[in-house]
Amino acid sequence: MTDIQADLARPLTLARVPAAARQRGTFTVQPWLYLAPALCLLMMWTYVPLVEAFQLSFYQWNMLPTAPQRYVGLTNYQRLFALPEMRAALWNTLFYILGLFPMSVIIPLFVAIWTQDLEGRARTIYRALIFVPMIVAPVVAAILWRWLLNEDQGLITLGLETVGLGRIGFLTDPKYALATLTWITGWKLIGFSTLLFSAANAGINPSYIEAARIDGASRWGIIRDIRLPLLSPTILLLSMMTILFGAQWSFAYINVLTNGGPLKSTTNIFYLLWEYGFQTMSAGWSSAAGMIAFAGFAVIAAGCMWLTKRFAVYDN
Amino acid sequence: MTIDASPDLASLASAGPKSGGVRRLAVHAVMIVLSFLSIFPIYWMIVTSLRPENEIFSTSLWPSNPSLENYVFVLTRIPMIGMLINTTIVSAATALLQVVTGLFAAYALVRWRMRLSGVIHGLIALSWLVPFQVTMIPNYVLASRLGLLDTLTGLIVPNAAHAFAILLLYNAMRSFPTEILEAARIDGARSWKILWQIVVPNMGAPIASLSIIAFISAWNEYFWPLLLSRKPENSVVQIGLQMFMTQEGNLWGPLMAASALASLPILIIYLVLQRHVIESFMKSGIR
Repeated sequence: MTDIQADLARPLTLARVPAAARQRGTFTVQPWLYLAPALCLLMMWTYVPLVEAFQLSFYQWNMLPTAPQRYVGLTNYQRLFALPEMRAALWNTLFYILGLFPMSVIIPLFVAIWTQDLEGRARTIYRALIFVPMIVAPVVAAILWRWLLNEDQGLITLGLETVGLGRIGFLTDPKYALATLTWITGWKLIGFSTLLFSAANAGINPSYIEAARIDGASRWGIIRDIRLPLLSPTILLLSMMTILFGAQWSFAYINVLTNGGPLKSTTNIFYLLWEYGFQTMSAGWSSAAGMIAFAGFAVIAAGCMWLTKRFAVYDN
Repeated sequence: MTIDASPDLASLASAGPKSGGVRRLAVHAVMIVLSFLSIFPIYWMIVTSLRPENEIFSTSLWPSNPSLENYVFVLTRIPMIGMLINTTIVSAATALLQVVTGLFAAYALVRWRMRLSGVIHGLIALSWLVPFQVTMIPNYVLASRLGLLDTLTGLIVPNAAHAFAILLLYNAMRSFPTEILEAARIDGARSWKILWQIVVPNMGAPIASLSIIAFISAWNEYFWPLLLSRKPENSVVQIGLQMFMTQEGNLWGPLMAASALASLPILIIYLVLQRHVIESFMKSGIR
């Protein structure tokens, strides 16, 4: 989960290095010694495997060390695109991401603005409570909600029955399972996002608000013309995190709770990768699907960064 | 909780004398709903874990005769203590290694200007965007070739360096006053000495933040252990939980006790270091 606290919105270019530290032109071995552990590890566990996965996507291989790898060209990709499973997984991925937005961006944004004048001890207590889901392990979160939503004796099931809504198969009915998993994924984020927005909102220079108020701006006018633009870096950051990582966050819940079912209704692209790789043991398919996902998310990431640069308003 | 001890006069005045009270109440209502949603599932886990078997489906908000039988069941049925120790080792080692590799890499990027600095910075940052699921097969093959399957080392090593750690320390180190570094260098201090005697002692806050975040996320890590683990006694507590759920999924009392035990260390850290934990997570999310 660390990944979401990324400051990916930061431009990736190297900022200016203090002049004192410059040593242009001469090659020194020292910095490379310091860089070596991190770079070796990243190469070994991220970049080389990425290239290998790219290669594997053109091969057929059942993951047994003794079995041969057979070159099949683009067949893996063609097969994948023809599979209804793949299409379902892509749609579900989109659903997870869109479904997360209300919980990771929209509701937190409005809650943060709405509750901005909370002060003192009450604020501290709320802060401490709503942050908790963020540090709960995904497996634990999955188990907690499985218990609350349990079809026989779950508290929520019993509650719904008492108000006459009957029993809902939150995790067993294909109509609801995907929404349930999206909710559990979002449950971990909603408080954290609210805190992020609150902090960003509290950082807005109060003199802008005062000036607008003197000019006769309405409450909503202030939100629309001052707060939302000044919150745009946080909005964009959290939106980007949701888009890039939302489908990955839901992986643990799919794996622990539904295994992609019922009727493939909760599978997403990352779960499909895992299924192809470690259940049907088709490394080629898994790698090809991985490359499709990676390329897709890379394009989206580039787009997001461009948007951030273009539209985020910074108060300098 | 609804009563705020210190009424905020300024905001009352600005919201108008009449609507102020109502609005304030509504604000608290929103926050109470959100707090309840956040905390209730955890509360319910603890309450369920304390219920004896014949009361497990009770809906009372507090167990009428609390018992620890579920905890005893879990501790005798699965190697819970061993897994908790394993998880502690893995999380602490991961955090420590991420701090060390991060410090080195950040120091190299801040202290020297190389022609390739930009490229290296980019490579580090972009490694973040590679979804783990994409590289998992080659990673798995590599781990099995190195004999790391079903070992704690295998759980630690691939996470020993992380883009997040390097960038967090890099950003913190960049604001370090260079005059001091420069003075130390003119004094003839070696880069190694400068790093440990001048830079690190002044990086307490970011190192603490990073350690907290790295420890908690290593503790909660699920996917990589899922690939590597074979036997529960060689694995971490998340895998133990998942296995226990698959086998005894409807023994709700023991399952909740196991979940509570697995979350306990993190919840204790949170209770003790609450402000630091929140701030660590927030700061790295906000610029």
